[in-house]
Formats: sequence, C-alpha cells, structure tokens
Amino acid sequence: MFGAYVLAVEWARALIQSHAPFTGAALLLGGAALSVTALGWPRERLGLGTSRFALRILGGLALGAVLLLPAAARWGGGPVLPAGLAAAAVAVSIGEEIAFRGALYTALDDLGGAPLAIAGSTLLWTLAHALSHPPAFLGAVAAAGLMLALWRWACKDLVAPIIGHVIADTAL
Amino acid sequence: MKRLGLLAGAALVYVLAAWSVAPGFYDGFGPPQLYNWTCPPPQAGANTKPTAGHGELKVTKGVNEAGTVFTNDAQIVIGFLPGAFDATGKTSISVDITPFDTCPQPSGIKFVTNVYKITANANLIQEANVTMLYSNLEPDPSNMYLATDPAGPWTSIPTSQTAQTFTITGHTSTLGYFAAGYPVTSKPSNSITVGGGQLLPIIVAVLIVVVVLAGLPLAVLRRRSSGAAAEEEDGEN
Repeated sequence: MFGAYVLAVEWARALIQSHAPFTGAALLLGGAALSVTALGWPRERLGLGTSRFALRILGGLALGAVLLLPAAARWGGGPVLPAGLAAAAVAVSIGEEIAFRGALYTALDDLGGAPLAIAGSTLLWTLAHALSHPPAFLGAVAAAGLMLALWRWACKDLVAPIIGHVIADTAL
Repeated sequence: MKRLGLLAGAALVYVLAAWSVAPGFYDGFGPPQLYNWTCPPPQAGANTKPTAGHGELKVTKGVNEAGTVFTNDAQIVIGFLPGAFDATGKTSISVDITPFDTCPQPSGIKFVTNVYKITANANLIQEANVTMLYSNLEPDPSNMYLATDPAGPWTSIPTSQTAQTFTITGHTSTLGYFAAGYPVTSKPSNSITVGGGQLLPIIVAVLIVVVVLAGLPLAVLRRRSSGAAAEEEDGEN
C-alpha cells in the first residue's frame, strides 16, 4: 500500500512534469506528496537524528561527489538549471529521500530486516524512475539507489543521502 | 569495515553503471533530449548521424499546395503555405533538406544544433516556417540563423515561441543554410546557474577537496577519542 502510494506519486509527477508549463509545479507538489510519508515516524527511526552531524554532512558531500563524478569526468558544458526549477529540484530530492530511504526503508526494515529494506527500496526507486528515464538509464538509477540505501543501512543516516541527492539534482 | 567495503563496492558499481549512459546519470528532470549530432559534444555519448529529408508539394493551377517537409529524424521541419513558391510552369515543387557534414562556428555565434541546407527547385516568394529541434545538452538557442553559404555571413531571422519543448521556430523568405544558436556576447537564454553549464567539474572538485580536508581532522578526532576510551578501559582493568 505504502509502496503503491510512492510509485503513484512518482509516476504522476513524471507524466505531469513532461509538459513544460507544469514542470516546476509537478516537482514541488511531487516533493511535498513524497515528504508526507514521513508523518508518524519518529525522526531518529527515519535516520534524521542529529548525532555526529558533521560526519553526516561530510558524508552527504561525498555522496554528491560520487553521484556527479561520471558526468563531471567527461563534461564538455551542458544544460544549466533554470532558477525557477532549483527550488523544485531541492523539494523533489528531499521528498524522494524521505520516501525511499526514509519511510519505505524503515517500513521494510521492520517487516523483513535490512536486506529487504535495501533491496525493496532500491527496486521501488528504480521502478519509480521507469516513466521518466529510458531503459538504458535504469541500471544507473538502480545503482544510485543501492548506494544510497547501503549508506542508510551502514550509517543509519538519511541526512547524507538527502544532501548528496540535492547536490546531484541541482548541479546536473 | 565490512559495511565500508560494501559501500565502496556500491559506489564503484554506480560509477561504472553511470559511465555507460550519457551524460553520466541524470535525475529529477529526466534524461537529455535525444538529438542526432553532426558533431556530438563530449557528453552526448553514443550518437546517430542526422538524416536528410525530401518532400514534394503539388502545384494546382500554378499554385503550390500547403505542406511540410522534414527530415526522417524530425529534427527540422519546414512548413509552406499555398502560393509560397513561384510555381510557374511546374506540376510539383521538390524540397530537400540535408544536414551539413561539418559544423561551422562563425565568429560571434555559438550554434547549438546541426546546420541544415534546405533547397527547392523553385523560388520562395512567401514566408515559410522552419522549426528546429535542439538538445538540452547545450544551452537553449535564442536565435535561428540563415546563410546562403555555410562560410557566412550568418544572419538572425525572426523567431516565435512554440508550445513544443526543445524546439525553436524561425520565419524565412529565403532558403539556404539554417542553424539555431545564440550570440556569444550574450548569455544563453536559460543561463542562471545553479549548476550545470561549465561548472560541474568545478563543483565535484570542490566537493572532493572539502570532504578530504574536513574528513581528515574528523578521522583524527575520532581515532583520538576511541584511543582515549580504550586507554580508560585498560586503566580500569
């Protein structure tokens, strides 16, 4: 049920944002709808605690660097993000992390432990991008989801995936 | 340690997977607009060459019928109204579109599309609309340019907005060579610059430097604190 809601939000967002006039609104509303999934969960259980905060921030910067590395290594100039979409990009990045590595991960962890949480959140994350990305991109999408989920498991932290995701989406 | 190894492995798998797609993973706004390049930019990845197009416009009672001619990959479309050509003595008008096989970069202009040559076997006497697709791997074009010779001079033609994304429409009374781009003296039309553009390698380099510079003192502090805790435990024993 929970996974179906997240998938429905992501697919609706992908369909609406492909129409240029609605891109910003779709991203903002999509981010908000995904963030709703955090309601009812204690902050710490979602990985949003404040202990070792400097390390979490540093981890986020490192994840951002890894996410951008393949593109940066062969960059020859490219599209720039319109200012109006920057806030929307931040909203949807935070929403996706809260939904997939936050609430969904925690729910699956309760259900079947870390292996199910990592595999399940990665699978749903990949499926969620099936409408917005051609099949050729889905391997990279899945690998990014797996890396972020492993961070969530290894460090019990969601702050770093949020920071890394926001950096990647606003920089590329 | 095992967790760190798994994380490092996942990062490596991600880098390899992202390397296999251009521009190297794209999220949030969907992947790049596909475009067949004559001269692909480095971030374009695998490329298919652009295709040509041919069309015939019927001539009835000395007037050509309305019609459009486009390339097979639909990267350029030209539309003609009835009477657009001087069709005297013709039963049809033949229009050809050919991608130019090199990529001229005239002084003061940055082209962001291929250059296309449009020819017809009759003279154009009324305005035609040329719609060109462009890729989002380059900044959006602000102008469409026309030249009778690819060596130039290139002149900007009037353009209008289109509902379709990643397209620009120009209005011309002359056929010749067409390309879309922007004057290099001005910023491209979509240029604010939260990220992308030429900044990406700099952003990544700064992130790496910050992680290394801030990570070392944090690692030393953690080692000292865990060392102190171990000494305390030894002292108690």
